Amino acid sequence: MTSQQIDRAAEQIRSAWNVTPRLGLILGTGLGELADQIDCQLEVSYEQLAGFVGSTAPGHRGRIVCGELLGVPLVALAGRIHRYEGYCYEDITQGVRLLNQLGAPGLVISNASGGLNPELASGDVLVISEHIDLMFLDAAGSTEQADRRQLARASCRLESPYDPDWIALALAAAAEGRFSARAGSYLALTGPNYETRAEYRMLRWLGADVVGMSTVPEVAEAARLGMRVLALSAVSNVANPDDPEEVSAEVVIELSRSAQPTMLAIVKALVDSLGAPAA
Amino acid sequence: MLELHDQIAEAVAAIRTEWPETPHAGIILGTGLGSLVDEMEVAVSLDYEQIPHFASSTALSHAGRLICGSLAGLPVVAMEGRAHMYEGYPLKQVTLPVRVMKGLGAGLLVVSNACGGLNPAYKSGDIMVIDDQINLMGDNPLIGINDDRLGPRFPDMCEPYDRALVDRALAVAADNGLVAHKGVYVAVCGPNLETRAEYRFLQRIGADVVGMSTVPEVIVAVHSGMRTVGFSIVTDMCLPDELQPTSAEEIVQVANEAEPRLRTLVMGVLAEERPT
Repeated sequence: MTSQQIDRAAEQIRSAWNVTPRLGLILGTGLGELADQIDCQLEVSYEQLAGFVGSTAPGHRGRIVCGELLGVPLVALAGRIHRYEGYCYEDITQGVRLLNQLGAPGLVISNASGGLNPELASGDVLVISEHIDLMFLDAAGSTEQADRRQLARASCRLESPYDPDWIALALAAAAEGRFSARAGSYLALTGPNYETRAEYRMLRWLGADVVGMSTVPEVAEAARLGMRVLALSAVSNVANPDDPEEVSAEVVIELSRSAQPTMLAIVKALVDSLGAPAA
Repeated sequence: MLELHDQIAEAVAAIRTEWPETPHAGIILGTGLGSLVDEMEVAVSLDYEQIPHFASSTALSHAGRLICGSLAGLPVVAMEGRAHMYEGYPLKQVTLPVRVMKGLGAGLLVVSNACGGLNPAYKSGDIMVIDDQINLMGDNPLIGINDDRLGPRFPDMCEPYDRALVDRALAVAADNGLVAHKGVYVAVCGPNLETRAEYRFLQRIGADVVGMSTVPEVIVAVHSGMRTVGFSIVTDMCLPDELQPTSAEEIVQVANEAEPRLRTLVMGVLAEERPT
């Protein structure tokens, strides 16, 4: 995925929808239905954009929805690309780069995760305030890619990629709707297998609240590009390493669905704040 | 991962031409543990070069042969030597033999390795029945587009090692008056041995032993729906505050000395697999 391909894809979208979005969204597990609530003005699939790769993951649709929500222009990517599908950093972050090229100054991203912190419950929303990267994505790639990643890491180091004002807004919106949400840390592994009991114990010891297989590369790239980020995680199951239960993709998707109303309320509150006239 | 299906079929076909039986179990013999095949009634011995898509092992004390025959009265295939990530092989290739074992009809994987002891209650030469594992290799053999014919996209890992087999192995040890621990194996890619700081880290994350293999093979066994039992031979103790220098020769020697006890455990576990 070269910069030229990103430019061309953005041109292709602009030629049909010449609007600057106020927000970009990557709708992972738990927020997929938001795409249907957008007043859609243009829909494109990843495959229609030269150089873009499609999602092979269950529950991910792989389409780009341009339109308005609560009167605010935005672009939502329904479905995403994961490391466990065999894709590299450049492919995984294609969507973020496209949103940035289209002019979106901020990114909302969602995922489903496994709860590590025993205080979490199935269906809770974690507003991600920090992350731990255990994806080892630097293990391969060209020098140019390595340079880009170093920049991404550097921008993560300087300040948190997660916008503190947006975290506060999200927590306030959840509280207002009496939804269960808290701020915390997300730890990313490649997957695709779920964790062993011993791995859960290790990840708890490392201090992470939830574990998942996505989001960190996109957030790193968004930070490199200077975008504001809000990341929401739908807690599917909370594993107890001493009393393990078998998990499957179906279970994770089903359990994370109960977090959907919370997520929708938070995203709408954020979009609403963007639509409000500047004070 | 879509290329694997055909690779497995080709390897299975090549083995079946030489040995038409259906193995009950596949066995992977780690560093210094190859002489378990002395107990086998060997029907066919195939060099890895003769089997399509098998990686030839460049590692120490790894012969690089697939032995087909019977052990404890059961048809088995045993790998004398394995490929490792540190040799530069992609994990898909490292783990292909497990998929081939499954393709031949084996429902059970018996895996062994030489490892470093982190738990201070262990000592050099001890055997640990693997209860659970931690993947710190920075890679995963299931990365890629999933082939649903081979297994699920997101395998559950809450019991990678069959609990009944763990209990059985420990019972065999007790019956024979052998010391066997039950613990957690952490895999790193290597090939350098760990620093003292790394040993402290690995102890704190909950590992009892550390090695450079086994975890990818067991992930693939779970993906394939095989039951697994695993044995680690502690070939040197890695206590960060009293670290002694070790050598590859020493590791092989300790493994060789422990091998007869491993043999007892494997034979005992397999004996109860026999149809009654």
